[in-house]
Amino acid sequence: MSQNAPLWPSFNVQIRVIGALIMREIITRYGRHNIGFLWLFVEPALFTLGITALWNIAIHKHAAGISITAFALTGYSSVLLWRNCSGRCVNAIEPNLSLLYHRNVRVMDVFMARLILEVAGASFSFLTLSLVFHFFDLVPTPASIATVLGGWVLLAWYAISLGLLVGALSALTELIERVWHIVTYLLFPLSGAAYLVEWLPSGAQQFVSWLPMVHATEMIRSGYFGNVFTPHYEISYLLVCCLVQSLIGLFLLGIAAKRVIPE
Amino acid sequence: MSDQVDAVMSREGGGTPLHGLVSRARRVNKIFVFAVLLPTLLASIYYGLIASDVYVSEARFIVRSPQRQAQSGLVGALLQGSAFSNAQDDAYLVHDFILSRDALSELNIHNGLRDKYARGDVDLLSRFPILHTEDSFEALWRFYQKHIDVDYDSTSGITTLRVRAFTSIDAHEINEELMTQSERLINRLNERATQDMVGFASKDVADAEAEVRRTTLAVSEFRNAHAVFDPERQSALQLQQVSTLQSELVAAKTQLVEVQSLSPANPQVSALRTRVDVLKEEIENAVRNVAGTNASLSGKAPEYERLVLDKDFAERRFAAALSALESAKGEAERKQLYLERLVQPNSPDVAIEPKRLQSVLVVFALGLIVWGLLTLLVSGIREHQL
Repeated sequence: MSQNAPLWPSFNVQIRVIGALIMREIITRYGRHNIGFLWLFVEPALFTLGITALWNIAIHKHAAGISITAFALTGYSSVLLWRNCSGRCVNAIEPNLSLLYHRNVRVMDVFMARLILEVAGASFSFLTLSLVFHFFDLVPTPASIATVLGGWVLLAWYAISLGLLVGALSALTELIERVWHIVTYLLFPLSGAAYLVEWLPSGAQQFVSWLPMVHATEMIRSGYFGNVFTPHYEISYLLVCCLVQSLIGLFLLGIAAKRVIPE
Repeated sequence: MSDQVDAVMSREGGGTPLHGLVSRARRVNKIFVFAVLLPTLLASIYYGLIASDVYVSEARFIVRSPQRQAQSGLVGALLQGSAFSNAQDDAYLVHDFILSRDALSELNIHNGLRDKYARGDVDLLSRFPILHTEDSFEALWRFYQKHIDVDYDSTSGITTLRVRAFTSIDAHEINEELMTQSERLINRLNERATQDMVGFASKDVADAEAEVRRTTLAVSEFRNAHAVFDPERQSALQLQQVSTLQSELVAAKTQLVEVQSLSPANPQVSALRTRVDVLKEEIENAVRNVAGTNASLSGKAPEYERLVLDKDFAERRFAAALSALESAKGEAERKQLYLERLVQPNSPDVAIEPKRLQSVLVVFALGLIVWGLLTLLVSGIREHQL
């Protein structure tokens, strides 16, 4: 491990390793039966469809010119992104312990493979459902696709950094495995999927804007619905959170990687 | 690469201190230089030497009306369903106005506002137009919005208005002007609401009054023209007279029959007979006065009744219009908006922005974070070797 090794060839190797890990992950997780790896996209899509149907039945009022369907689509797809990413990375190392025997397969690669898969799945499901719903006139055309994309990219970055953080922690202590499910479950109502920040009184608004996912969800919704509501988000806060969390995640990952003993 | 340079240097018989320094400089972590040193240096130069002072003038106000507005808590907002914007809060009227193009164009009469922000002694990054981009009204509006801060606390209802400008006087002036304009806006809204509500009611009252006068006049004219006061009562009197006459007639007839049967040759008989005839004639006349011909009372009664009915309706309408006017005035009073200044705009004596040291430290901290990230990523990449 030389500090002066040339960067580009090493990067190529890493890309190929991650690519191979992704293929392996797809095959071991989804197999070749049924629709095979299409489940990667279909599972989040079905989840979102179910929630959308449920909310449509349960809630009868349109909220401020936003259809329940569009509201559920943007909210739940966002939640899926960070929830799936972090969920998959908990205890990600153990099943792949035998792979780490190879010199070029690193802990970081294992995580990145899973994270890329999850991000791809959630993104594709969001895109497909948006197109399908739009075809049936259930959701409006997004007012600013650039904002939606920007928000989604930032949310994906946040989800990846969260996955790295949680994955590294789970390798360091067994506590995370038990606790993380509870944390995601409790975070779901707070995370902005179920409400618009402008609905809350200003005290609650301040409290809730400490959560970066809220900013990302507001940004996505603002791009989708335009001027129908007043968005409350700050890109700078979201960026800083992503940076800090990525740093901590990578740092802990480094520590965890040193502790891992391949079989 | 740097190793080779060092090798060359040492081969040529020990470098001078300058060569040593240069070779050391090459080994310094490039990421550190670009992520931390360079940005911090640039930020220090900008904030230390270039950035101009920004003065902030602050004022606080509240928009109230005598009608109490319901405050909904978190649970109430969740349960209300479409409780997205607390539309009952009239403070938002003023907020929207302050941040609107209308307010800007009033402030910018004779380019007043633009000149305040385009001063020559302001640094290029803070001045309008930033870095000599477009000098349009739209660009000025975006710039203006970044320099006005309207902060609303929904629990207390108090709005804080902060204006940022490059001199203390400018900030104070702009703030004061905005407050005055907001007050004018509120007054304009009040006037319009009052006019609408009270105006309609007043017109109704005026119409009803005219109607009352007209019908009363019609009634008295009729009375004069037909020499009758109140056909109903007058006919009642007449009929009373008739009944008296009739009883007298009966008495007279009885007396006549009595006298005739007792002594037919009595001279009283003719007198009594005359009496009976006269009484009959009188009764006929009286009855004819009451009913039978057009000149009788009952002939005049329909017209009279109609006029009196009209007058009655007109009076009742007038009374209703009066009470409607009263309640409209009351409504208008209850819906009046008041913009109360709680804290007057101040003239800051020191510039509290830009926060120079804080900004440099923030750039430094962010630089460190990015440096850490990039270092970890790069070392992760470097672990892969063919």
